[in-house]
Amino acid sequence: MSVGLPAYLAVAAALFTIGVFGIFVNRRNIIVVLMSIELILLAVNINLVSFSMFLHDVVGQIFAMFVLTVAAAEAAVGLAILVTFFRNRGDIAVDHANMMKG
Amino acid sequence: MGLDSALTIAQPELLLAAAALGLLVVGAYSGRLAMTLVSWGAMLALGAAAVLAANGPLGQAFKGAFVSDGASVFAKVIIYAASGVAIFLGERWLVRAGNAKFEYPVLVLLAALGMGMMVSAGDLISLYIGIELQSLALYVLCAFQRDDARASEAGLKYFVLGALSSGLLLYGASLIYGFAGSTRFADIAGAVHGPASMGIVFGLVFLICGLAFKVSAAPFHMWTPDVYEGAPTPVTALLSAAPKVAAMVLFARVLAQAFPHDVPQWSQVVTAIALISVTVGALGGLVQKNLKRLLAYSSIANIGYALLGLASGSEAGLQAMLMFMVLYVIDVTGFFACLLALSRGGKPMETLPSLAGLVRLRPGLAIAITILSLSVLGLPPLSGFWAKFYVFKAAVSTPGMEPAAVYGLVMSVAAAFYYLRIIKTMWFDAPEGETDAPPLDARLVALGCAAFSFPLVIPALAVLDPLALAAAKAFGLA
Amino acid sequence: MSVEPLLLTLVFGPLVGATLAGLFGRRLGDLVSMSVTTGLLFLSCGLAWDVFCGFWAGHSHPVTVEILPFINVGDFHSAWSIRLDTLSAVMLIVVTTVSALVHLYSWGYMADDPSKPRFFAYLSLFTFAMLMLVTAADFMQLFFGWEGVGLASYLLIGFWFKKDSASSAAIKAFVVNRVGDFGFALGIMTVFWMFHTIRFAELFPLIAAKQNATWSFIGQDWSALDLAGFLLFIGAMGKSAQFFLHTWLPDAMEGPTPVSALIHAATMVTAGVYMVCLLSPLYEHAPVARSIITVIGAITALFAATVGLAQNDIKRVIAYSTCSQLGYMFFAAGVGAYQAAMFHLFTHAFFKALLFLGAGSVIHGMHHEQDMRKMGAVGKFLPITYAVMVIGTIAITGLGIPIKGMEIGFAGFFSKDTILGAAYAAGEHSPYGYFAFCIGVFAAGLTAYYSWRLIFMTFNGTAKWGEHADHGHDAHAHDDHAHAHDDHGHDHGHGAFKPHESPVVMLIPLFVLAAGAIAAGFVFAPSFVGEHREAFWQGAIFTAKSNEVLEKIESLPSWVGYLPLIVSVLGAVVAIYFYLLREGLAKRIADNDGPLHRFLYNKWYFDELYQAVFVNGAKALGDLFWKGGDQKIIDGLGPNGFAWLAGFAGRQLGRIQSGLVYHYAFVMLLGVAGLLSYALWAFAH
Repeated sequence: MSVGLPAYLAVAAALFTIGVFGIFVNRRNIIVVLMSIELILLAVNINLVSFSMFLHDVVGQIFAMFVLTVAAAEAAVGLAILVTFFRNRGDIAVDHANMMKG
Repeated sequence: MGLDSALTIAQPELLLAAAALGLLVVGAYSGRLAMTLVSWGAMLALGAAAVLAANGPLGQAFKGAFVSDGASVFAKVIIYAASGVAIFLGERWLVRAGNAKFEYPVLVLLAALGMGMMVSAGDLISLYIGIELQSLALYVLCAFQRDDARASEAGLKYFVLGALSSGLLLYGASLIYGFAGSTRFADIAGAVHGPASMGIVFGLVFLICGLAFKVSAAPFHMWTPDVYEGAPTPVTALLSAAPKVAAMVLFARVLAQAFPHDVPQWSQVVTAIALISVTVGALGGLVQKNLKRLLAYSSIANIGYALLGLASGSEAGLQAMLMFMVLYVIDVTGFFACLLALSRGGKPMETLPSLAGLVRLRPGLAIAITILSLSVLGLPPLSGFWAKFYVFKAAVSTPGMEPAAVYGLVMSVAAAFYYLRIIKTMWFDAPEGETDAPPLDARLVALGCAAFSFPLVIPALAVLDPLALAAAKAFGLA
Repeated sequence: MSVEPLLLTLVFGPLVGATLAGLFGRRLGDLVSMSVTTGLLFLSCGLAWDVFCGFWAGHSHPVTVEILPFINVGDFHSAWSIRLDTLSAVMLIVVTTVSALVHLYSWGYMADDPSKPRFFAYLSLFTFAMLMLVTAADFMQLFFGWEGVGLASYLLIGFWFKKDSASSAAIKAFVVNRVGDFGFALGIMTVFWMFHTIRFAELFPLIAAKQNATWSFIGQDWSALDLAGFLLFIGAMGKSAQFFLHTWLPDAMEGPTPVSALIHAATMVTAGVYMVCLLSPLYEHAPVARSIITVIGAITALFAATVGLAQNDIKRVIAYSTCSQLGYMFFAAGVGAYQAAMFHLFTHAFFKALLFLGAGSVIHGMHHEQDMRKMGAVGKFLPITYAVMVIGTIAITGLGIPIKGMEIGFAGFFSKDTILGAAYAAGEHSPYGYFAFCIGVFAAGLTAYYSWRLIFMTFNGTAKWGEHADHGHDAHAHDDHAHAHDDHGHDHGHGAFKPHESPVVMLIPLFVLAAGAIAAGFVFAPSFVGEHREAFWQGAIFTAKSNEVLEKIESLPSWVGYLPLIVSVLGAVVAIYFYLLREGLAKRIADNDGPLHRFLYNKWYFDELYQAVFVNGAKALGDLFWKGGDQKIIDGLGPNGFAWLAGFAGRQLGRIQSGLVYHYAFVMLLGVAGLLSYALWAFAH
């Protein structure tokens, strides 16, 4: 007996939700935000690969490869920006990143 | 179709990619000259890419993943021109700010490459690659002033929220792929007939949300004021112009080419976003004292009007959207050029009160700002009036859109106050003290854009109108 | 000879002058700028009279000269063109004549001003925009001219921009006019939506067929033509300062007096009347819109006349009088006597410009004193001004002998009596005609009273300016152009304060206008409204078959002709009693400050009303007017009404804009959820 498509989608949806909540429930550390973003991309990848399997279409897997690559670049850029932020402010708390508002 | 002809179609992007990599090497080895050399090289490359795009062959490459048609050509010329202006403005500005790093033009080049990719995307994968290429470069540009706490905060905010929006968009894309069975727009259109399945609706809404973030439409606009304020002003000038055009064209292309059978449905969703944007933009701007924030709200409102054109879901509506974006981009670039030109005691004048009595200190720039304000406000016969005229004409001629058009008009009256306040401050308040001599580059761009807003726009309309119509035809809606 | 080069010179001459004086004024010097603009204007004026005489004599015919295509988008075609027919020819002479005289007059009036080239450039620019307006062959050019005159008016009201009251008056005029323009633009869109064309020549033949076209709104069918006519009339209300949108005109008197004479008396404010007459084919088929015009016009005539009774600023009295006379013109058009409206516009241009320039001469002679309570007995020192002002006053009050067949009188007599007769004649078909007639007659009495009051307070009685020898200085400080330069110009005169007659350049225009105020009536009456009118108008004004108001005037009972005369004389007698025989009585009444006087003095509390009513945010439409009525919003976001609401909403948005990333992400998520629900609903339908 094989696991059906809905099960995969449910896992992906759960991961996606966890990732999204990670962004705005967490108020302490921006690193956690970066991790949440990775989680969202992971959820998307699960979606893509499982659809690819069930559609017997390889495009989904190619898409997933692109997403992985871009995710790596995104993480690199994100961490670099985080480093400059830290150098200027001395901490990386989400709560403190509100110089500009209104 | 062979690889050769596929590459011919992608010529402008190939040129930009090669130029970006090449200029990076040139910059690394040319010492003191690097900034100037790379900047002018980048502008040259953008110019060449625009020429190539305008004269290159039309068609599809890579099995429809990359499209060159009237719309993409129209958008590319604007995008490359606006990016070139951003480099031109930024080069001297960074030198004056003591941060003359040649990565700036290269990053703008990469962003332009991403935008070119976006407007040519005919497939969800190329859509995603284009957006990310553009966004990653822009994140870095926002934080380009490494030692400025505000700039790095702006970069960080933009990055976090941008990544979230990319996640939403991607999740939507994966659902559409799964339920339509393909990533190519044409095939999606073929698969989605009749009543759309739940999965497609979810996917479409997530996709729309991701794109709405990129055009900074409410309620996905929250990053805009903060990032506009914190980012270096030349970067803000770029942010408010070229990426908006790219994202709007992409927005239109996805909706029109992948979901041509659901026009009435997505039109309602886009109308909702448009009206929220118009409201937020008009009201949010009323209490702003910082000019960059004020322009951010102005840009939110104006994107709302452009979306109203898109929401008409007709050829006339798309033409209106394209015309609106061109005219708006020129106005907003002029606005930021004025801000770049104004400083007092070495500090940029970025608050409304600092403009007091400007007409007596810098009459040329004050008149430019006046013209641009009146134009964005929609006073005939300035360019902003024509932009709105196209949009409202399209909206009124679409059944069911009349109330939305009327609401948009009312909100534009409310928004008129903050432009009038700028004018009033400049013309009737007492000046605070002498301003520094404005730099030539910014002044040139400012006066040029103001001259376009009026009177050059009148003859230009005759040229732009048929071009925009041809571009709108490429989207294939009736 | 081809008419084209002539017309082009006529219309674009002022633009050339404006450009030269505006851009190169400083280099060319004052004298050259002034001579060029004035010279070109006189040239235009000469050509305009030439053109007009062609029509008057009946050997010219309507013609439209297309200059350049403007916009071609879909059905929307517009071109820059010059449309010449009797209607535009009348406006051409009015505009160019008054403008040329005002240019000349300004040589004297603005002699001490440091920025003369700018002033003359604005004047010429205004004239050009006005000429574009009157020669428009389609709505687009009409709108262009409409906005152009608005802009020039804004610039000229705020000419002394260093004076706070002047710049806020300029903004008020601008904003109130935007309210009108909003309606006007909607009206144009309605016309385009109905007929798919905006060219008058193509539009007019189509109108009769659409007479029964309706438009459903709130479950009822409305006549689409009435809607279009009403919306366009809103534009006219703004420009011509009709009731509800009149608040800007009195404040506009902050501008230099020649400007008031040109723009706010003779030309720009009559653009609304001109438009209604031009669109007579439309209004003839829009009875409801015409009734609205009649009622609004009549109310304005009465309202402005009553306010004029209690004002003390010499220019404001004349401003309210203008407002009131515009009301006459509108109700004339409303009852179907377009020719009479145009005739009154024509004669009014002469005597009102005369009154304004005369007032300017007084102000000039009194060292920039405008308060009539501080004048008196000026007639001895300014005899010529006194004489022409009396001529203007006789003209405006419409004194004349209405014996059938041998009417004798000054200009206003002919035009005003025709209007009142037409209103009475129209009363047979609609009650609005009688309404307008009664109000018109009553307002004529008030007109006589306040016009003579102005004369007596200013020129007769005892001198009130002698009592404070140094008062001139005070008045100077608060009433003067704010530029310090000017103060020096007059300081030497202060030791021996004494009114003086104006220089010759200022008197010549007065003579010319006085001649017009005397003669324009009986010379032109047969052509405009009399037996030759068919030949004269050559179809430029359309009247439906059933519209016979002008024919019926001939057969009205003779008391209809005598009544206005009696009422006017009565008004004059009351003024004589209060201000000549029992001088000081009126002042005591005013000082008593009874409720009626306070009501009138405060202009029916309109400015206050606009603030108070709409603070409650009761009416969405009212909000628009109120915004117009109050510039505080632009200034500092006043704490009331719409501004408060918008500001409040803005601040709330600012509060959500906390600067915290997770708040932003949360709002985005809410947006996703909201859109998702909305989309599911949208896709289900």
